[in-house]
Amino acid sequence: MTERVTLAQGNGGRRMRELIAQVFVTAFGAAAPDTRVDAAIVGDPGGPLVLTTDGFTVQPLEFPGGDLGALAVHGSLNDLAVAGAEPRYLTLGVILEEGFEIEVLRRLVASFAREAAAANVRLVAGDTKVVPRGHGGGAYFTVTAAGVLARPGLTPAAPRPGDRLLVSGPLGDHGVAVMLAREDFGMSGDVRSDCAPVLGLCRALWPLPGLRFTRDPTRGGLAGVTHEIATACGHGIRLVDDSIPIRDQTRVICEMLGFDALTLACEGRVIAVVACDEAPRALRRWRNLPSGRDAAIIGTIVAGASTVVLETPLGGERIIEELDDDPLPRIC
Amino acid sequence: MPHLVGQRLARAGRDCLMDGTARHGPPVARRLLVSGRVQGVGFRPFVHRLAHRLELDGWVRNEGGSVLIHVEGPRERVERFGAALVAQAPSASRAESIVTTDAVAQRKAGFVIDTSVSRVSVAVHLPPDLFVCEACLAEMNDHRARRHRYPFINCTQCGPRFTIIDGLPYDRARTTMAGFTLCPDCAREFETPGDRRFHAQPLACPRCGPRCLFEAGRTTIVDTDEALAATLAALNRAEIVAVKGIGGYHLFADACDPTAVARLRTRKGRPDKPLAVLFPTHEDDPLGPLSQWLTPSRSERDALLDPARPIVLVRRRAVGSAITNALDAMATSPPGERPPSDTTAELAAGIAPGLAEIGAMLPYSPLHHLLTRAFGRPLIATSGNVSGEPVLTDPDDARRRLAGIADAFLHHDRPIARPADDTVLRTSAGRLRPLRIGRGLAPLELEMPVALDAPVLATGGHMKTAIALGFGKRLVLSPHIGDLDSPRALLVFESLADDLQSLYGQRAVRLVCDAHPGYASSRWARARGLPVHTVPHHNAHAASITLDHPDVRDWLVFAWDGVGLGTDGTLWGGEALVGGPGRWQRAGSFMPFMPVGGERAAREPWRSAAALCWQAGLAFERPIERVHLARQAWQRGLNSPSTSAVGRLFDAAASLLLGLDHTSFEGQGPMWLEARAQGDGRAIDLPMISDGPLVRTDWRPLLVHLLDAELSIEQRAADFHETLAGAALVQAQHIAASSRIEAVGLGGGVFQNRRLVEAMSRQFSTAGFDLRTAQRIPVNDGGLSAGQMLEHAATVAVAARA
Repeated sequence: MTERVTLAQGNGGRRMRELIAQVFVTAFGAAAPDTRVDAAIVGDPGGPLVLTTDGFTVQPLEFPGGDLGALAVHGSLNDLAVAGAEPRYLTLGVILEEGFEIEVLRRLVASFAREAAAANVRLVAGDTKVVPRGHGGGAYFTVTAAGVLARPGLTPAAPRPGDRLLVSGPLGDHGVAVMLAREDFGMSGDVRSDCAPVLGLCRALWPLPGLRFTRDPTRGGLAGVTHEIATACGHGIRLVDDSIPIRDQTRVICEMLGFDALTLACEGRVIAVVACDEAPRALRRWRNLPSGRDAAIIGTIVAGASTVVLETPLGGERIIEELDDDPLPRIC
Repeated sequence: MPHLVGQRLARAGRDCLMDGTARHGPPVARRLLVSGRVQGVGFRPFVHRLAHRLELDGWVRNEGGSVLIHVEGPRERVERFGAALVAQAPSASRAESIVTTDAVAQRKAGFVIDTSVSRVSVAVHLPPDLFVCEACLAEMNDHRARRHRYPFINCTQCGPRFTIIDGLPYDRARTTMAGFTLCPDCAREFETPGDRRFHAQPLACPRCGPRCLFEAGRTTIVDTDEALAATLAALNRAEIVAVKGIGGYHLFADACDPTAVARLRTRKGRPDKPLAVLFPTHEDDPLGPLSQWLTPSRSERDALLDPARPIVLVRRRAVGSAITNALDAMATSPPGERPPSDTTAELAAGIAPGLAEIGAMLPYSPLHHLLTRAFGRPLIATSGNVSGEPVLTDPDDARRRLAGIADAFLHHDRPIARPADDTVLRTSAGRLRPLRIGRGLAPLELEMPVALDAPVLATGGHMKTAIALGFGKRLVLSPHIGDLDSPRALLVFESLADDLQSLYGQRAVRLVCDAHPGYASSRWARARGLPVHTVPHHNAHAASITLDHPDVRDWLVFAWDGVGLGTDGTLWGGEALVGGPGRWQRAGSFMPFMPVGGERAAREPWRSAAALCWQAGLAFERPIERVHLARQAWQRGLNSPSTSAVGRLFDAAASLLLGLDHTSFEGQGPMWLEARAQGDGRAIDLPMISDGPLVRTDWRPLLVHLLDAELSIEQRAADFHETLAGAALVQAQHIAASSRIEAVGLGGGVFQNRRLVEAMSRQFSTAGFDLRTAQRIPVNDGGLSAGQMLEHAATVAVAARA
């Protein structure tokens, strides 16, 4: 019989301790946090502390190229990396829905543990709650990540006219992979999520004095990040359509379903703004890494109003708007 | 001279308030305030000449946007002056009212044009650009005249206006001609009463006026005559030349050379969209050359010759007929009197693929006359822009943006204050209607039946946008701007919004925009910091058509278009609205369907076809790659918003009948479908389904009919039009049973379709309905801002009464 989560496993008693031992301690092994205490002492971080917190509610919980566990680790640690920090610690809060399959939970937690170990980051605290059936989407993870500032000075206000915009790899894969898996299109595996750590990509650029800003284009995609930069720095951005890397498979699916790859989420890409003269160097550094093989220079910061404009082939120019909550067709 | 917009003089005569009392007695003094389109049309010089002829004393001056006249002299002659002011007014003027009051005699001998008083009032009227008049044309062709072959010749009766005016009152100092100092000869003409250039503000000659500049690669030619010769040589080599005109640049190419046309299409990335053609003209028979290729109707001939010199959609002759026709012409006309044009050339097939009509126009600027006369054959004259953007006006912008398209440039140095694309007209149901308001008609000045309490700006839609300024009962519609996806369109949109407000001296205190929050025009409105009112898309379409019919109170308007946001949050486009401005109720619609892919459905008709077939449980058999993906998305409702748009039904039919699955310009599906339809067409009965307060037409029997391969494509295309007209009639009859309806109106882009409008016109009048159509305002989104304004004014008026 399938083992499932019960409400009693969230009541703080014996059943809960059993669940934690059975699932979490098993997964993390020696790296598991001390379950006997309610708070962790992590010691002097050795520099300015950088903190981020994120909730992960992806549906489906497992998709080609990743799952909730891996996404929770990368999503959190990537936020630290693009802020210029070396990640050190993680905490994990888990909210489970009554009736959730224990075996699936095991896989998700194992995935979390594996990715955290690979990133050399310690889980220092955790929490588990169970909500009644129908009150949750199976499992939600909430992660707080802490790191130490390694590359100060990266802010979206720093870019200035002439700076170049770089992207570390093809856009939109995560968004398309998750959407295909969620809607059960029966074509899983055609597009895999790009869910991956970006610390290596960030480290590669940190030594460059001309590095102004880095950000991972998650929700809202490239359109969201470029708007954020344009608004913060007070300059415009021009993107060159032809130069933006998008995989053929992703492009085809976007075209068929009417999605714009520029607004789809990535979970393993970095957008960087680099001074013009250092942009070729930044590009070389990225391309030397396996995760930056398809990196490209895709645009320029320009003087003028804070708008984002896409230069299309044949000399056209299109204003890129931020994604609306519910984009409705505008064309008659 | 035929006039497009109303009977200008007759109207002026009817509206004027003449104060004619006693016929005899001592000298009298009168003040006459003439309002309407009286600046920039030679009105003051005309008044001056008239006063001199009648030997009256006094003065005339521009007062804000009106003309104020003081005359004194014998009563009988003062009265003759008043009558002649109406009867003999310049042809381009349009006096709306003349208010006459008694005045105190000033007893100064002579009649003068007084210095303009810059006081802006609600009486401001902005003149449109005027085509070159016969007198100037004759002078330009006279080798003894000092303006022989001068491409910027103009007078008080002709020349650019709207596109050179920086501010009002209309004086040279407030135009883009301010930088050209008059030479002594021109200054003399400007100051000589009785001269046709007396107070002609843009007056110019080869010595002191604008000049042409030819550029191709490293070649630069500054001599105007040589520049024209180089332009002609380039065109004769099948090259593309960007030519600066009145309201912006055109791209010129030889319309009879398939290579040149194909080259233009490839470079512009415009594979199918019809290209406008500029035809040569002939002094004795202006439409003679054009008639060798096209078959204009009576009203189309009139429209082609209208002072607005619009683009008119005219049916072409059958291919091959040009040669026969030319041979006929040569056989019948005596030697030496043959038209100068090359009559044997065929128009390139690529000018308007899939269509039966050509967008034709006649030369309107002196420059166009010089070029077409020397070239002899029709010229492609398409907007000099990157597709969808407003026409380019600045030489530097043109050099940069058209570098990949034009082989050469013919610039000139008279700055263009604001762009105005060519106006486009099309006949339907025996009447010419604008598809696009532009050069020659813009700004379009209208009157609303209700007054606004304060100045308001309406921002229009997202595609084919035009904006409107409203103050009091007045409504001013801007020229066509374009699709607001590009930064240049937004820039033009912003500066035009600013220009209209400052030219008319009205600062908007509120903004009105479409209810769709994602339109660039709606976003712009929200970012202004002014109160914003939204108007549902189809209410604006409905209100827009009522502007042409102030006599009707209770309407049923069919608002059919591509897609617009409805009041229930879904996408409308096949609606029947009952009521009037400010009080529309949705009474009819179509059975909704779900084209997959959101905005992409507008460019890919197969998506609408697939949505209809799948919903009706029929096989969708177009060869679309990965169509199973789309079907899965459709089954799950993923990015497949529900719509009742008739425009999408047209798209579906274009896909199913013509195999047109992907389009390259807006409206291609419906246009191709209309062009393909032949014969009378048979209406298929479509059932209506009750849906709360609505009746919805079920399109399924029509879909089944479209798929009937036993019938010819031409027949099915004709049946499609007839069926939609019939469905509208059934809706109207049903709605009329429970609602008071005086007249039925047609609004929305679908009604650019001539066949549909004519089918409805026929079916509705047979059934006893009074069918009304738009006359001055485009039914497409180009007329949306006018409708928004009226809708808002009516809503405010209702609120004020309550």
